[in-house]
Amino acid sequence: MSDPVNVRGLAVGARVVLASGAEVEIVSNPGDGVWVFGRYLSTADATEAVGDEEMIFAQDVVEIRSQEVHGKRSA
Amino acid sequence: MAMNGTRGYHSGLVDLVSGQISREIFVNDDIYAQEQERVFARSWLFVGHESQIPNPGDFFASRMGEEAVILCRDRAGAVHVFLNSCRHRGMKVCRYDDGNTTVFTCPYHGWSYATDGALVGVPFFREAYHSELDRSKYGLIEVAQLCCYKGTVWANWDAAAPPFLEYLGEFRRFLDLILDGWDGREGQAELLGGVQKWIIPCNWKFPAENFSGDTYHNISHRSVDLVGAGPSGRSRRDYSEFNATRRLHVALPDRGHQTITYVLPRDQQPQAAYQNSPEVAEYFRHCEEERRRRPGANSRLIGAPGEIFPNVALLPRQPRTLAVWHPVNAHQTEVWRFFFVDRDAPRRVKNFLRDYYIRYSGPAGMTEQDDMENWNYAHAASRGVIARRHPYTYEMGMGHAIEDWEWDGLRMPGRVIDLTKAQASEEPMRNLYRRWAQFMEAGSWDELMTWRQPPAREARAQAEAAQ
Repeated sequence: MSDPVNVRGLAVGARVVLASGAEVEIVSNPGDGVWVFGRYLSTADATEAVGDEEMIFAQDVVEIRSQEVHGKRSA
Repeated sequence: MAMNGTRGYHSGLVDLVSGQISREIFVNDDIYAQEQERVFARSWLFVGHESQIPNPGDFFASRMGEEAVILCRDRAGAVHVFLNSCRHRGMKVCRYDDGNTTVFTCPYHGWSYATDGALVGVPFFREAYHSELDRSKYGLIEVAQLCCYKGTVWANWDAAAPPFLEYLGEFRRFLDLILDGWDGREGQAELLGGVQKWIIPCNWKFPAENFSGDTYHNISHRSVDLVGAGPSGRSRRDYSEFNATRRLHVALPDRGHQTITYVLPRDQQPQAAYQNSPEVAEYFRHCEEERRRRPGANSRLIGAPGEIFPNVALLPRQPRTLAVWHPVNAHQTEVWRFFFVDRDAPRRVKNFLRDYYIRYSGPAGMTEQDDMENWNYAHAASRGVIARRHPYTYEMGMGHAIEDWEWDGLRMPGRVIDLTKAQASEEPMRNLYRRWAQFMEAGSWDELMTWRQPPAREARAQAEAAQ
C-alpha cells in the first residue's frame, strides 16, 4: 500500500492517478482533505468518461503525477 | 406546587387567574424535554443576519433550540437553513463558526453536501453502494419555512405554522425599531463585529421573562446607573427624552410577544443624547430629526426591551442588540448576543457604539452581569424539593391592562399598561407564560392561530345561518 496522498495540497491543474488507473486533472479543491473536483483525462474502465467532471474521494487518489507549483507544472 | 398531569399546564402550572406560576416549568427536566417538541419545533426562531453571509458559499453555524443548524448562501445566491447533521450517521458536517465553502463534508465517513443541501459526494458510491443509493433522498434536512426580513433570517421546522410576518402580527413595528435606520429609513441595520456567545446556569425562560419588559428589577442596575456607564456619562442610558413620553407595556395575547415602549408627543423635538462625544451626539441629533420627519407611527416610538416568543430579545436603542436564549438543558442556556449599527454610519460612530455596547451587554457587560446574577441564583434556589412547592407570583397589575389604547393620535395594539405612573407591571410576563402554556397544550398550529378563528358570536351566527 502506497503512502496516502494529502489532497488538501493539490492545486488546480495538478494531475493525479486514481485507484482505478484513471488520470484526473484537479479543477477545484474545497480544501477539506476529503474531496477534490477533477476532470478525467484518461480512464481505465468504462465507469467514467474522458472529459467528465466529478468529485473525487481522497482515498481514491493514489499518486500525484504532476503538481502545480507557483503557476508552473512540474513532474 | 408539584407537577400535576391531570390539571394541564394552563390551569395547573401556569395559573393566570391567581397569578401564580409553578417553579416546575423552570427546573423540571420532563417539562424541558416537552418544550423542545412543543415550543421550539413549532415556533419561528432567529437564525442570523444576511450581512453574515453576503457572498455565495458563505455560512454561519447557528442554532434552533437544541438543534445545530447551518445558515448559508448557495452558489446561486439563495439563503438556506439546514440541520447540521449528516444523513448517514449524524455527525456535524460543519464544525466552523463561519466561513466560505463549496461543500460541507462530514468528517466521519466523508459524505459531502453542496451549499444548496444536495448530497453530492458518497465515498465508494460505485464500489460499496453499487451505484444503487438514491442520493436525491439524502440531502441535508432543510427547515420547513424560512423568512428573510430586513436582513434578519428566521426559520421554522413546522410547515403548518403561519408565515413569519403573520406570526409577528402587529409586533412587527417593534422589531422594525432595531432593523430600520436611526433616521427611519427601512432595513439599514448591519451586524457589528461577531456574535457574543456564553453559557449561563439557568433556564432559558428567566432571561426571556426579564426581557419581556421587567422594569421592576431596575434596582439591580443601581450600581451601573451610579457609575454612569451610559453614552452621556450619566446613568446607563440616555433618559432625557423619557421625561416627555408615555411609558407603556404592550402585550399581544394571541402572539405571545411583548415589550416596553416609549411614546413621544406628536411634535416632540429630539433631546440631547450621546453626550460623551460631540461628533456622535451631532450624528444622532441629525438622525432623530430625520426620523421624526418621516411619516409613520414608528417615528414617535422609542424602543425598549421586548421579547418575540419564545426566545428572542429585542433591545432597539441603547444598546441596539438582539439576543437569543438557546436552551441547552433545563438548567443551562447559551446566550447569543448580536449588536447592530446602521451600515452607513461613520466609522467613529460605530467605534463609539462598540465600546458602549460591550460596556453594557454581553458576558463582560456591566448591566448583563447584574441580570445574570439574578437569573442564575434564582434558578439555583428554585431546584430543591421545598422550593418547588412554592410558586412564583405574577399578580402585579392584574386586571389593569386596557385594549385600544390611544394617546395623541397614536394607537397601540394588544393589551397595554401605562407605566408612566404605575412604574411596573407583570402583564408582559403573564402574556409570555399564557402563550407558553398554549404551545405546551396545543396539538397543532390550528389551535394556536386563534386570530384566524372568527369570534365566538360570529361563529354562532354562521352556524345558525347554515342550519
